[in-house]
Amino acid sequence: MSEQQFEPSVIAFLCNWCSYAGADLAGTSRIQYPTNLDIIRVMCSGRVNPLFIVNALQQGADGVLVSGCHPGDCHYMEGNFYARRRFTLMNELLNYVGVDAKRFNMSWVSASEGAKWKDVVEEVVENAKEAGPFEQFRRNKINW
Amino acid sequence: MERMKIGKEKFGDFLAALDKQLYAPQKVGETLRFVPITPEDKLDLEFSNTTVPPKSVLFPQTETLYRYELGKTDLNLPDDEAEKVLLGVRPCDARAMAIVDDLFSWDYNDPYYQGKREKTTVVGLACSDPEVNCFCTSVGGGPASTEGLDLLLTDLGEVYLLQPLTEKGNNLCREAAEVLEQATEEDAAAAEKLHQEAAGKIVRKVDTEGVTEKLMELWDHSLWQDLSRACLGCGTCTFLCPTCYCFDIQDEAEGLEGRRCRVWDSCMFAEYTLHASGHNPRPTVRERTRNRVNHKYSYFATKFGKIACVGCGRCINLCPVNIDILNILAEVIKEAI
Amino acid sequence: MVDLEKLRTVAKETISRDDVKYLIGWRQGTYGFRVTPCFIEEPGEAEQLIFSPLCTNNLASYLIVTEKLPLPRGEKPDTRKVAVMVKGCDSRAVVQQLIEQGIKREELYIIGCPCEGVLDLKKVEAKFPHILDPVAAQWGKDKIIFQLPEGVVEVPREEVLAQKCLDCRDPNPVIADITLGEEIEAWGNGEYQDVKELEAKSAEERWAFWEDKFSSCIRCYSCRNVCPMCYCKDCILDRLNPSWIYRSTNISENTAFHLSRAFHLAGRCIECGECERVCPVDIPLMKLNQKFSKEVEEKYGYRPGIDPEAKPLQSSYRPDDKEDFIL
Repeated sequence: MSEQQFEPSVIAFLCNWCSYAGADLAGTSRIQYPTNLDIIRVMCSGRVNPLFIVNALQQGADGVLVSGCHPGDCHYMEGNFYARRRFTLMNELLNYVGVDAKRFNMSWVSASEGAKWKDVVEEVVENAKEAGPFEQFRRNKINW
Repeated sequence: MERMKIGKEKFGDFLAALDKQLYAPQKVGETLRFVPITPEDKLDLEFSNTTVPPKSVLFPQTETLYRYELGKTDLNLPDDEAEKVLLGVRPCDARAMAIVDDLFSWDYNDPYYQGKREKTTVVGLACSDPEVNCFCTSVGGGPASTEGLDLLLTDLGEVYLLQPLTEKGNNLCREAAEVLEQATEEDAAAAEKLHQEAAGKIVRKVDTEGVTEKLMELWDHSLWQDLSRACLGCGTCTFLCPTCYCFDIQDEAEGLEGRRCRVWDSCMFAEYTLHASGHNPRPTVRERTRNRVNHKYSYFATKFGKIACVGCGRCINLCPVNIDILNILAEVIKEAI
Repeated sequence: MVDLEKLRTVAKETISRDDVKYLIGWRQGTYGFRVTPCFIEEPGEAEQLIFSPLCTNNLASYLIVTEKLPLPRGEKPDTRKVAVMVKGCDSRAVVQQLIEQGIKREELYIIGCPCEGVLDLKKVEAKFPHILDPVAAQWGKDKIIFQLPEGVVEVPREEVLAQKCLDCRDPNPVIADITLGEEIEAWGNGEYQDVKELEAKSAEERWAFWEDKFSSCIRCYSCRNVCPMCYCKDCILDRLNPSWIYRSTNISENTAFHLSRAFHLAGRCIECGECERVCPVDIPLMKLNQKFSKEVEEKYGYRPGIDPEAKPLQSSYRPDDKEDFIL
């Protein structure tokens, strides 16, 4: 598969209240953006377990996005503050073991930011394309 | 067949002459374990013993039993047809194979283990430098014990002496006859001398006479509490034991495909005996430690007539908290009347 | 240095107290350089106790790992204290357990032992192989003094000390009911040299490094079990439904295991180095843990297990936490 043809698979964990609504807005506003994303809706970015990211990479994701409300706007007051610490550390860990830094992304997208959502998706997909197919610890690469 | 010898520099040619999948100790991460090699690979057999015993080849830590696909009715069985040669197995670990053989062919002939076992030729290397915790001579073995081996190598400095022990061992020598030379009487005598020297270097000992019954007498003795209390419940002693064979069966799925596999399990884990009800018949490290010792020295011995311990010393060397099976046996012998 | 006579006297007094059920300490092991944790229930047994550079075990793990049988009906729980001997790093484990409310302060009687660094037995046993008779060791000035069967041998401390001890910043217990011996001046600089060396490599080199290490893992979980901070009643690794990390050993599952183990200790690891010490296949786990120690200290000015009043790092936040990687 050549560089140009590679279409990455990106798993996105979106919080119900902001980012998912933002993506919804992008859709109803007919904003065009790449379709490489598989969205998993969660109630809050603070609900995302770092193991989800490891597991997504194991199961074949080439990139992962976690997106929540802007700091201070969390529906549950402080969920995204915890998420911020957690994924700042997770990002460091993934980097440290040699997973390309472009594979893991986090963003704040509010319910009114359909346009920002498009920018985020474009950047995340572009990042995953640059990083190429993820093979380091994919499950199905292991000989069963 | 008679004893043969080969110069160490020609050992690669010996391996190349064998048309088989070779396994030998190589460094993975920081430790030695048996992995597939080619005759060109650098072989270093100058070690006391591998960290992971060669059971990892015949009884892999993860072994696929069958694969399946959603929506299809046929199962895909793995076929491991390759003829294998295990190189540089220490006599203690080879004895362990002979012990585990009994288990895997007892009430049910385990096709996965036996299939590989039948196709495997075990080439041992007599031990010249036993570690401090080696006690093979106390449990019926020795640094040049031949049980479980097909061919025994002895390192004579410049050359290896080859002593075929079974038909499989003879076949290896025949296949590689071109690179082998006839060994002399002196070579055999030198090897014999080395074997005896190595046996003399073994310092730890235990008297296993009657220990099977003694363990049963001491079932409820307070020594189990005292000797096991520091146990952390990890699987180091059992996973790295050459005679431990417990496994768990797991289903692993990936998309529309999946497999059923067996993985090593350890009786030292609390969840090993945990019932679905939440009840655990071996609730603490006391019962679990007792089970480990009893299994090796009593239950297995009663059932199969031999102690399931070969004295390799791994469980003593690697225990994080110095739970020492020889110390436990010494206490048992002392306490029993 | 901790005086042995004093240590045993204090232990005797402690175990004689009505409100102490047992004392966890160290005693000579069964051979060579090995030391084993021991549980003292009678004053007479206190004579076995030692404290030396060989006392590597972090006894704070036993405050958590010790299994309790269900009480027979009508029987009241034994609420007496557990006395525990701690080194500097071990005391941080106790503090962190207190922070997380894993244990209660009133359940503990802490005997602090200022420590000049413990040994890396892998280094020691490579230097002095084949030693069966019990060996004693003690601290000297910049050296370790061994009483080997053939006589007294002195070795420079850098040659035999555990790596984590060469960088130690907390040789003195940060929490104790009674402290034995004099306070020791800390020598560590907190520069995380090991971590920085690895960070300086490319992503490919880093992965090659960890792939090699992780692929040797046999998943015996000794790193988890020995860890004083790993005390979930229901560990994710033991769960089968959902089974986040499969039991099979391959680079995929092993990596997932090591990433989750390390992450669970982010902002909690107190750098006692027990995981690395007990690993039978010598995976350099402290290189993972210290990465977090470094990041947590740099980003949030937080060191786990120092201040019993602090909040756990990941269940607290500041509105102005750094977020430079977030889009």
